[in-house]
Amino acid sequence: MVNLNELSNAVIKGDSEIVAQLTKLALDTNIPAHEILNHGLIPGLQKVGELFVKGEYFLPELIVSGEAVLQALELLKPMLVRESTSYKGKYLIGTVQGDVHDLGKNIVIMMLRGNGWEVTDLGVDVSPEEFCVAVREGDFQILGMSALLTMTMPNAAKTIEELKAAGLRDKVKIMVGGAPTTKEWAELIEADAHAKDGPSAAIVAATLVGKA
Amino acid sequence: MRTKLSGLDRILTAIKLKEPDVVPHFDRVCQKVINAILPSAAYEDLVEYLDIDAARTNDKLSAWSYETVDTSKGIKQDQWGGLVRFTSENNPIPISPAINSEKDLVSYVPPDPDLPWRYKVLEQLVKRFKGERAVIAGVTDVFALSRENLLGDIGYFRAMIKNPTLIDHVNEITLDYQLRYVKNCIDLGADILWINGDWAMTETPMVSREFTKRFLAPPLQKIVEYAHSRNIPCLKHTDGNIWPIYDIIIDTGIDGLHPIDPMAGMDIGEAKAKFGDKVCLLGNVSCAFSLVTGTIEEVRQETKEVIKKASKGGGLICMSSNSIHTGVKPENYIAMVKAIREFGRYPISLD
Repeated sequence: MVNLNELSNAVIKGDSEIVAQLTKLALDTNIPAHEILNHGLIPGLQKVGELFVKGEYFLPELIVSGEAVLQALELLKPMLVRESTSYKGKYLIGTVQGDVHDLGKNIVIMMLRGNGWEVTDLGVDVSPEEFCVAVREGDFQILGMSALLTMTMPNAAKTIEELKAAGLRDKVKIMVGGAPTTKEWAELIEADAHAKDGPSAAIVAATLVGKA
Repeated sequence: MRTKLSGLDRILTAIKLKEPDVVPHFDRVCQKVINAILPSAAYEDLVEYLDIDAARTNDKLSAWSYETVDTSKGIKQDQWGGLVRFTSENNPIPISPAINSEKDLVSYVPPDPDLPWRYKVLEQLVKRFKGERAVIAGVTDVFALSRENLLGDIGYFRAMIKNPTLIDHVNEITLDYQLRYVKNCIDLGADILWINGDWAMTETPMVSREFTKRFLAPPLQKIVEYAHSRNIPCLKHTDGNIWPIYDIIIDTGIDGLHPIDPMAGMDIGEAKAKFGDKVCLLGNVSCAFSLVTGTIEEVRQETKEVIKKASKGGGLICMSSNSIHTGVKPENYIAMVKAIREFGRYPISLD
């Protein structure tokens, strides 16, 4: 029987080989995939996020642990699809128009996927129209927009206005983030939530859909 | 009344941590702001028009080659082999790295730093300004170059833990190129080097102190040592919160540090107290807030505050907290330049 705490610890250490071994072993011993995810992988990644916020972990540790979880998720995916209960939800993300910085966005994606979200990435420099089309055509619980430059922040507000005009605003919760953004600004542009970094984005997203 | 110095002497005096006649200033200015101030002018025309103390090159724009891949999306292949996308600021932002594994490295052919066309812009600045204003050669930091262009952010950070020798091999390539590039710049008349590349994010450094010492500092130190062997000072730019690692950066031997990022909560007065006796401080009027959305009076007051906090005894070059980008109001940039001359005349007494 696999101790899922050991799996969490391997995630915290960023040891992708041990994470993969323990995940396979857990599946072989018939532990349900959603339990492996919710009691092994996610608690480990959450601890990594806490260590990042405390300044004990940095980008390399965050990335190595995130990748270890993503590899394990590939092993779990067929079972998760069969169990069809484990995804926290569907998350649409992109960097706002005029902004092509994507390191922050990519770390948010890694943390979200590692925490059980199915993420669709629209990439960088996404226009309000492109966000609107994706929201209209998709089945997303949350739209996340990232802005790294002060000068591109207004394009997040513009996107929210266009979603309103298209009658799509209530279809999704909206999160915003990025270096120059603040909680106050998020409220000002009528986003539903603000997250300052990848680890906090995963926590805020879960809270927004009542799955914290 | 102090003797009026040339822009070059003003800058060099500040870098030597002494008081010049006036707090010096220079900034990278985007074409949109240049056009608003002096229609159809070039950057060097603006430098002369506003009597700016230095002019600097940007190696990525003036000394690197690019080949178009997708015109509609602005995607090009840079000279290192990765893909970049040009922003509205004309900044090439990497979107796909050149090297994805050790295998790619085996057959990798780096670009040639000795091609004469790379130095045309620098030579123009030298021809126009040599001896009067500081001519500053922009050099991309080896950490930024290896990470952003060669290995990509994710690949580089992963390799720090999983495959550190890959980074060592890539750094050998990029450091060799940059040392040859720097040598050529100095041979052609550059007065100062501007080493560009972030080591920190808004909240924290990108990597731990241990990794900063292991991977980031040594190549920077090698460039600084070479420049110093030619009597050329080095100014290091990094955005972000560098409080946890500032001592490591300073120990590389750099002569100045930009921008003491106010958006990352760094206070230039605190920096002056902590390391203003070791390096020249460059900054830090906010180009995220006041220069973008502030009034002329707000910019004037913020500039005054920067000078008040960091000019004592010299060692301050007053400038924006990153660059004069397209979001900066042209009138606010002018207000900052005027305020530097209004409040920055030594002896300074702003208490």
